[in-house]
Amino acid sequence: MSHRLGARGLVLGYDEAHPVVDGLDLEIPDGQVTVIVGPNACGKSTTLRALGRLLKPRGGAVLLDGQELARIPTRRIAQAIGLLPQSPVAPEAITVVDLVSRGRQPHQRWWQQWSEADERAVTEAMARTDVTSLADRPVDALSGGQRQRVWIAMALAQDTDLLLLDEPTTFLDIAHQVDVLNLVRRMERTVVTVLHDLNQAARYADFLVAMKDGRIVARGRPDEVVTAGLVREVFGLEAVVVPDPVTGSPLVVPGAPVPHPKSAPGTARDTAREKATPT
Amino acid sequence: MSGTALRETAPRERRPAVGAAGYAVARGRGASFLLHRRSALVAAVLTAALLGACLASLCLGTSAVSPGAALRAAFGLDSSAEFVVGTLRLPRMTLGLLVGAALGVAGALIQSVARNPLASPDIIGVTHGAAALTVGAMTYGAVSTAVLPYWSVAGGLAAAGLVYVFAWRGGLHAARFVLIGIGFAIALRSVTQLFLTKGDYQVAQQATVWMTGSLNGRGNAEAEPLAIGLLLLLPAVVWAARAQRSVVLDDDTATALGIRLARTRLGLATVGVLLAALATGAAGPVDFVALLAPQIARRLTGTAQIPLVCSALTGAFITVLADVAARTLFSPTELPVGVVTAAVGAPYLLWLIVANRTGGRA
Repeated sequence: MSHRLGARGLVLGYDEAHPVVDGLDLEIPDGQVTVIVGPNACGKSTTLRALGRLLKPRGGAVLLDGQELARIPTRRIAQAIGLLPQSPVAPEAITVVDLVSRGRQPHQRWWQQWSEADERAVTEAMARTDVTSLADRPVDALSGGQRQRVWIAMALAQDTDLLLLDEPTTFLDIAHQVDVLNLVRRMERTVVTVLHDLNQAARYADFLVAMKDGRIVARGRPDEVVTAGLVREVFGLEAVVVPDPVTGSPLVVPGAPVPHPKSAPGTARDTAREKATPT
Repeated sequence: MSGTALRETAPRERRPAVGAAGYAVARGRGASFLLHRRSALVAAVLTAALLGACLASLCLGTSAVSPGAALRAAFGLDSSAEFVVGTLRLPRMTLGLLVGAALGVAGALIQSVARNPLASPDIIGVTHGAAALTVGAMTYGAVSTAVLPYWSVAGGLAAAGLVYVFAWRGGLHAARFVLIGIGFAIALRSVTQLFLTKGDYQVAQQATVWMTGSLNGRGNAEAEPLAIGLLLLLPAVVWAARAQRSVVLDDDTATALGIRLARTRLGLATVGVLLAALATGAAGPVDFVALLAPQIARRLTGTAQIPLVCSALTGAFITVLADVAARTLFSPTELPVGVVTAAVGAPYLLWLIVANRTGGRA
């Protein structure tokens, strides 16, 4: 049986007068990748944090299998929901395998410090994220991309039905971003992630949630949701939406850059603009 | 490791035993235990070193006793060295051992909770609070040594509580916590001075010696209540050894893993403060042991969290050895053990601060 996560009338904020999220209802579809997108400060990370009980709601509730999150022991939540924060800090001098093993914490007791299930989960998580060869290296010494894979391995080792990832691709170059996102697609569990890049969201999401000013503006399959109108409404950006040449998913192409005042006419870019501008 | 109970976690040819590299695993009947091999080795070596220091403590002094005679006397088999070893040195050594171990664990716990090697009870005012209230009690009449530990514990807890309250600003920031602790340490030191000037000459002199942290003229009378206190705290320390694993993670990650962080931190800090205060009550503020021992132990074991058992052993080793040095270096003049630990600890503290400033990790 898989766990179901949702929110009802969720109000979130750091002070009473200015809620960041106001009255949000959300059902996370089972076994799919849900991506939350929106402009800076739209409340997407705040929402994700609340879904993972890192932030207490001011109103409404996050529901796990219909039960209010606040009423479930944190350890039981940790057996159902894994969460990778935006910028986790590795303890000094910790090795990769030690950090990944910490993901087993919610399954361990003082008399069950390292069961066979623990070992299986950690070994598998490291193999899936391709960090097995780094096992004995200190996390401090890894590159950004490797480190992110290690953190994802830790979250995977937790072995939960639900996995929440808060901007897992930030600070990574494009190759490592694709790497991580492919990993997310291969996870075979319910994933909710916040992404910055709308095109990546459209490519990798089964279910897309677009937020603005603490509210959900649109939700659904990317090809239904991502339109020029939505981009204008949510991001305030004029853009053309075309099918992605590789995947066929919607691809957002923003309007042409303004010309540089000193750039000479006749450069490649100007020629391209002339071609693109309808006369 | 061989045998049936202790074994490698997985056969090497199938897949690398990544899950518990560096650990010995014991499994059976739904239970499983881990032992960090290097920590176990370090603990064994430290135990041997500690035993050596203890033996030196029994042998060395104004009248030297041979190791064999010292051991025989310690176990009551030889009456010739009975007075020097049995009455003078053994109780003193025992006290040093207990005080050092308690301070080592106390430092480990508080440094872990604050995630800062500077946040040791002898820096952030815990031992100073214990000292202030103890000297106050001495000054205002409660001079019975049997009562002093209570005053120390009360003083340590009160100081820790005050630092916590003042450092709390919607959350606990390690640097602010340490700075406020240092402020309180200075303030409490002047409170102690105030009590000293209020008290009569004899009390002041007694209190002054106590305050440098001395094992001189102390022994079973102080060691007994300390031993009882440590024994009572033992279950809490066993809990702490495991709970402490989780406080090295950042807040979000720890919460996501189902750790009740606030509760765990409070529990760990309380155990640490109690240990530091008990030790201070028994021997006065022996500075820098709680600061040094955990960091030395962690560097030896190479673990992410500060190892408790090795911190205890290191603390005990430092204290016993420092007391031997205090007794013998300028013989026949005896130094308080706190002077020796401070002489070693102060340069380390300076290095810690300098290393932090240059961006190096301490």
